[in-house]
Amino acid sequence: MTSYIEEFNGIEKPKDYYDDLFVQLEKLNDEYHAFNVINKDADCGFLFGTKANICVKGFETDAGSKMLKGYAPSFNATAVERMLSDKRFAFAGVTGMDEFGFGTFGTNTEVPARNAFDKEYAAGGSSSGAAVAAALMKYHVSIAESTGGSIATPAALNGVVGFTPTYGSVSRYGLIDYANSLDKIGVMARSSEDARIVFDRIRGRDEYDTTCAVEKITSERRKKIFVINGMLEKADASIKTSFEKLLNRLGNAYEIEHVDSSMMEMAIAPYYIIAMAEASTNLAKYTGYKYGLMAEDFYKQYNEFFTDVRENFGMEAKRRILLGTFIRSASVKDKYYTKALVIRSMLIREMDRMLKEGYILSPTLPIKAPRIADVRKLSPVESYSMDLFTIPPNLGGFPHISFPYDYVDGMPLGAQLVTGHGNDYAILDFVKSWEEGFEYRYKTNLGEL
Amino acid sequence: MQDKEFDRLLKITRLRVSDEERVQIKRDFEQVMAYFDEISSVEASGEPAYHPVDVPGRLRDDTVKPFADAESLKKRSKTSNGYIVGPKL
Amino acid sequence: MKIGLEVHVALPTRSKLFCSCSTEAAEPNSSICPICMGFPGSKPMLNRGAVEAAMGIANALHCPINRGISFVRKVYFYPDLPKSYQITQMEGAVGSNGYLAIGEKRIRIRRVQIEEDPAQIIRDGALTLIDFNRSGTPLVEIVTEPDISSEEEMRSFISSLRSMLYYLGVDINKEIKADVNISMAETRVEVKNVTGIKNMIETLRFEIERQTELIRAGEEIARETRGYNEKSKSTQTLREKESDEEYGYVFEPDLTVFDIAELKFNEPVYANDVAVGLANGTDVSPRTVSEIIMLDRDSLRQIERLRGRHSLRSIIHGIERYKKYGRAGRVADKVLDNIVLLIEEGKEVPKEAIVDLESGKEARVEYSQLSDEQLDELINKYLEENPALVREYVKQPKTINLIIENIARGNGLHPKEVARKLMPILAKVAEGK
Repeated sequence: MTSYIEEFNGIEKPKDYYDDLFVQLEKLNDEYHAFNVINKDADCGFLFGTKANICVKGFETDAGSKMLKGYAPSFNATAVERMLSDKRFAFAGVTGMDEFGFGTFGTNTEVPARNAFDKEYAAGGSSSGAAVAAALMKYHVSIAESTGGSIATPAALNGVVGFTPTYGSVSRYGLIDYANSLDKIGVMARSSEDARIVFDRIRGRDEYDTTCAVEKITSERRKKIFVINGMLEKADASIKTSFEKLLNRLGNAYEIEHVDSSMMEMAIAPYYIIAMAEASTNLAKYTGYKYGLMAEDFYKQYNEFFTDVRENFGMEAKRRILLGTFIRSASVKDKYYTKALVIRSMLIREMDRMLKEGYILSPTLPIKAPRIADVRKLSPVESYSMDLFTIPPNLGGFPHISFPYDYVDGMPLGAQLVTGHGNDYAILDFVKSWEEGFEYRYKTNLGEL
Repeated sequence: MQDKEFDRLLKITRLRVSDEERVQIKRDFEQVMAYFDEISSVEASGEPAYHPVDVPGRLRDDTVKPFADAESLKKRSKTSNGYIVGPKL
Repeated sequence: MKIGLEVHVALPTRSKLFCSCSTEAAEPNSSICPICMGFPGSKPMLNRGAVEAAMGIANALHCPINRGISFVRKVYFYPDLPKSYQITQMEGAVGSNGYLAIGEKRIRIRRVQIEEDPAQIIRDGALTLIDFNRSGTPLVEIVTEPDISSEEEMRSFISSLRSMLYYLGVDINKEIKADVNISMAETRVEVKNVTGIKNMIETLRFEIERQTELIRAGEEIARETRGYNEKSKSTQTLREKESDEEYGYVFEPDLTVFDIAELKFNEPVYANDVAVGLANGTDVSPRTVSEIIMLDRDSLRQIERLRGRHSLRSIIHGIERYKKYGRAGRVADKVLDNIVLLIEEGKEVPKEAIVDLESGKEARVEYSQLSDEQLDELINKYLEENPALVREYVKQPKTINLIIENIARGNGLHPKEVARKLMPILAKVAEGK
């Protein structure tokens, strides 16, 4: 399959192309809520949207939170700066997300995005709007972000490619932090080729982000695919059936090996411990007198002033601040936070061994797309368990890509392929060849020429 | 979780919850902590991984480069003679 | 009694610790950026200059330098703290387990750590006004073990520390700020944010008295954080502070473990030790030398420069004369050379002489040579003509200096010569009155 970016830039656009496009987009957006802000004054170029936690100068970047209402940054994120300085691209707007990235289904925010295939279904999170935008518009890529699966999950549920690069290959400068040692900026697109073009545009060293340190990206093809037994067992029967079919198709070109991985199977708890511990420090800064939601009662004593403002965090954010603060308290820190960091290094060692030999493939989610109404009934632990497959590569900072491989009852299914640190091109290559024998389906092709 | 401990956490995080939220979050808190306690069964070995990849530290030269748009950082705040007004001490 | 200090010193960098904003600014909130204001999306970038300066200090305090340094977040809420956490250091500090010698005793240093300064708060009535220019300025915190056991030791510790910092190029014009921990009995009382040595001593005196009183009365000393009030020279219980439990330190994940083994830093000068070396074998006490050079690298340079040619006493005398009468902040080599030469010739070096030397002229120090008889005559005549001064002298013996100066100047005489003859005469005259 070709690149939509190249295709688009090769076609002459009608005079009113962008005007018409934005009129239609606004109408569509009223139904799907993919965008928080649409930039109707966009320059001519291939449109890209940015997840609402990636700073765009002058545009409200609220990270899906009431706490950041009205925050229009004074600077561009490095990734945004690099896109804007490339004439091929034009900024389309800000896409919606779970508050601060806290969610698997996109429902933890005031106006959740709707699944592009069926509005009753969850869009997936936390980069929900980014995935929906990519699925609604023919010529559009989304700059999104993943901490524990926030790119792969919504990509799978909306039938697009969701590419999460190696931790530290794309600068996080301008990314509103969830968990700094886990956050990765990535791309959601309708083809692996577009994901690669954008990745190459935004990646590379940046003096503004110390942790942006991975420069060299390789394309070392692996001949083997590992499937983790204990994890696949936890998926729904229908998912397992579809996934087995995928494995059969791939069996011709790859050696499929079913293995166990104790570390990957138990990665959820250490992931959430690190994520919440870091998040609880990141969320301390929202105190209502410099940016975002502003309080005015300056005659109140600061503790009360701060508490009044911070009451506006959503439920999940409050839960994670409290849990995160608890687990980094001096008396229990070693038991939870430090231990989780050690487990992370054990997980990386174990995955590294496998990934030197082959890829790791799994369904992206253990379930089919859920209805929004059903998502709301899940307890936190049930919800966290849905990240079963996406967490290991995210905790280990490994590049991974979710790609559509089947459609069941009119809804797309995604599979997730993982490779070793810095071998990002290999999985993009893999999906590119997969795309040659696979027909993507979309309900809407807004902007089609 | 005891109410006393829960209230201590609310105080140090400067958070306030409604009665409903309190009941729910306290219940969730116990469930999540029970889930987290699963890591105690892991025999840990090795150093903590502060980052998933090796991050060699780069240092910045000690040179001054003023931020071009300092004014914009104050625009949402209440100010008085150039000072930003904050809550009472 | 056990006293421990946590001393905060601003590091001499041009830009802030984690951003490129200037550390010097006049207008409030003019040297600010998203990083030092803690705006969402910004990230810290560590200043090499700050690390090198801190390494110099750690090395001077005999701390083995940690090869890999890292930072932690210390979370607490206060309007001057833009991110609601301070980036500071714990285990990954620049240096630890060192000491600073004061005489024979060593005050152990627990840790030398780099951290960011919060913003500055100004109270305007009930309003809190915040200036973020200071936010993100690099500091080192020097944490001692509770090894200081008296006011005198605290004074010498601070003075040695100041001198050491001065020679490393750390701006000591800014007052030293410290948290003072004082335990008379088992319980530790922490007095936060005391500025300047004078206030530190007042703090100590007040706490000794307060705690002694409590012990005498059989009362419990509360383990608490207090603040020092400069007006009342007393300490008071402060607002509730978070404890280590609540700070919930975590590794600063926007930074990393920095390998600093290759960085360069300045070597220390211990003025007290240098003074002992210089004074050795001379008739000058190490203390005198040390007083001159503690906070004055120019004087040290001059002493080292002239030492081979002149006696230490003359050099120091010359420096002192210059410090008293000289115009410039630092003495020019040639001027000092001449002053010391005059001193060695046994001549007094009055102000006029220094003024002359500084404007490139010959010094006015040539004196008339008179016989003892001529001198006696001159003195008696002067005293007869100035009876008021003699009366003044009877009431106030210091007046003799004025009389000496008048006679010497009026006749081009050496003041010492005048004094030698004047004293017995004046004593006799005074007896008669």
